[in-house]
Amino acid sequence: MPFREINSKMVEATVAPGQRMFSQRGAMLAYTGDVTFTPNTAGGQGGVMAMLGRRAAGEAAPLMTVEGSGTVLFGHGGHHVQVIRLSGETLYVEADRLLAFDGTLEQGTMFMGSQGGVMGMVRGQVTGQGLFTTTLKGHGAVAVMAHGGVIELPIAPGRPVHVDPQAYVAHHGDVRNKLSTALGWRDMVGRGSGEAFQLELSGSGAVYVQASEEKL
Amino acid sequence: MATFRLQGSKVLAVDLSGDAVRAKNGSMVAYEGDMAFKKMSGGGEGLRGMVTRRLTGEQLEVMEVRGQGVCYFADRASDITLLALHGDKLNVEASNLLCSDGSLRTGTTFTGLRGGATGTGLFTTTVEGSGQVAIMSDGPAVVLRVTPRFPLAVDPGAYVAHQGNLRQTFQSGVTFRTLLGEGGGEAFQIRFEGDGLVYVQPSERNTVGGDV
Repeated sequence: MPFREINSKMVEATVAPGQRMFSQRGAMLAYTGDVTFTPNTAGGQGGVMAMLGRRAAGEAAPLMTVEGSGTVLFGHGGHHVQVIRLSGETLYVEADRLLAFDGTLEQGTMFMGSQGGVMGMVRGQVTGQGLFTTTLKGHGAVAVMAHGGVIELPIAPGRPVHVDPQAYVAHHGDVRNKLSTALGWRDMVGRGSGEAFQLELSGSGAVYVQASEEKL
Repeated sequence: MATFRLQGSKVLAVDLSGDAVRAKNGSMVAYEGDMAFKKMSGGGEGLRGMVTRRLTGEQLEVMEVRGQGVCYFADRASDITLLALHGDKLNVEASNLLCSDGSLRTGTTFTGLRGGATGTGLFTTTVEGSGQVAIMSDGPAVVLRVTPRFPLAVDPGAYVAHQGNLRQTFQSGVTFRTLLGEGGGEAFQIRFEGDGLVYVQPSERNTVGGDV
C-alpha cells in the first residue's frame, strides 16, 4: 500500500478492500471514502506469543487497524514524517515513532540487550528508549515520525556510522549496534563535550537520523 | 580545510580530513570515520577569554571536533544557514552559532543596550578570520543587505547575526501611547547602518520589547 507524501508532515495512504494497514491511534487527520478504524489492543498481529512479548517489553504503542476503501491522511503532533520502503529487509524502530504502516508487514519485538550484551542494555538505559524495539519485516511502506528532518546514512562493511542515541530514529538491514563511549574523567567532573555516548552501527544497511536531539 | 555542506535544511555535514571545527556542545547527531570530541570554552582563548566569559555570562558552550570522515550536526531541528568569512567579522548570538571552522577566532563583544532588550544578554559572540560558519535560526533565515543609502531596522527578537562594516544603534518607538498601555508591541528596534549583511529569522524570541 503506497504512501503519498503530501508535505513533510503529512502522508496520504490509499486503502483498498481486502488490504489493511495499521496506524498509531489518533494519527488520522482526515479521510475520504468508506474507511473504518478499529482500536487494536493487541497492538498488531503475530499471535499470542508476539502479543505477550510486546506486553512484557512495554513496546505496545496503541495502534488501530485501518480498513475499507478510500484515502486517509495521517500526521501527528506536527512531527516530520519520513516514508521508508522495505523490500524484504527488517526495519528496527521505536514503537512510539511509528505513524502508519502496511498491514502486510510482519511485526515483532526485538530485545536490544541481546545485541551487544551488557552494552546493549546500557544503550537502552542511556537512550531512554527501553531495552526493546519494534521490528517490521517484509515488503511494504512504513511512515515514521521524527523531530525535524531525517537524513539517511548508508552503513557499509568497513564504514560504520556513529549516531547520537537521542538523534537515532530507525535502522534497517543487517546491522549490529553497540554503544561506544568516549567517557573520560572530564565527563565525570562535568566538563564533557556532551558527546559521551554514541551508538555504533556496523554491517550493511542504513540508519535514519533526525535533525534534533529531542525525543518525540 | 573542513568543507561544510547542508543535508536538507536542518542537518549540517562537515567533511574533515584531519582538521578541526568548533561546534555547539552536544550538537553532533552522527558521524562516519574517526572523530574526537573535546570540550572548549567560549569567550575566546587564554586568560583574557576566561575573564571575559566570567564577566559576560556569554556562555558559549563549544566543543572541538577533530577527525577524518564526515560529521553531522543538528540542534533542536533548527534551520541552518551557511556563510563564508573572508577576513571579516561575524557577530552572532551564542545560541545561534552551530559550527565554525577551526581556523576562525571566536570572541565576545559588548552589544550595549541592545542585549538587554533581546533577552540574550549584553554580550554577543564574534567570529573572525577566513572560513565557513554555520548559523542556526528558528525557521529559515533571510539575509538582508544594508547599504549606506538603505539602513535597516530589525526586531531584536528576530535578529540572528550580522557581518560586514555595520554600526548598530538601538532605537525606541516608545511614545506617550506606549506609556498608556496602547503600544503596538514593536517598541524597540536595532538599527543597522553602513555596509553589510543582517540575518533575520522568521520568529521572535521573547523580549521586553514585545510586551510594550
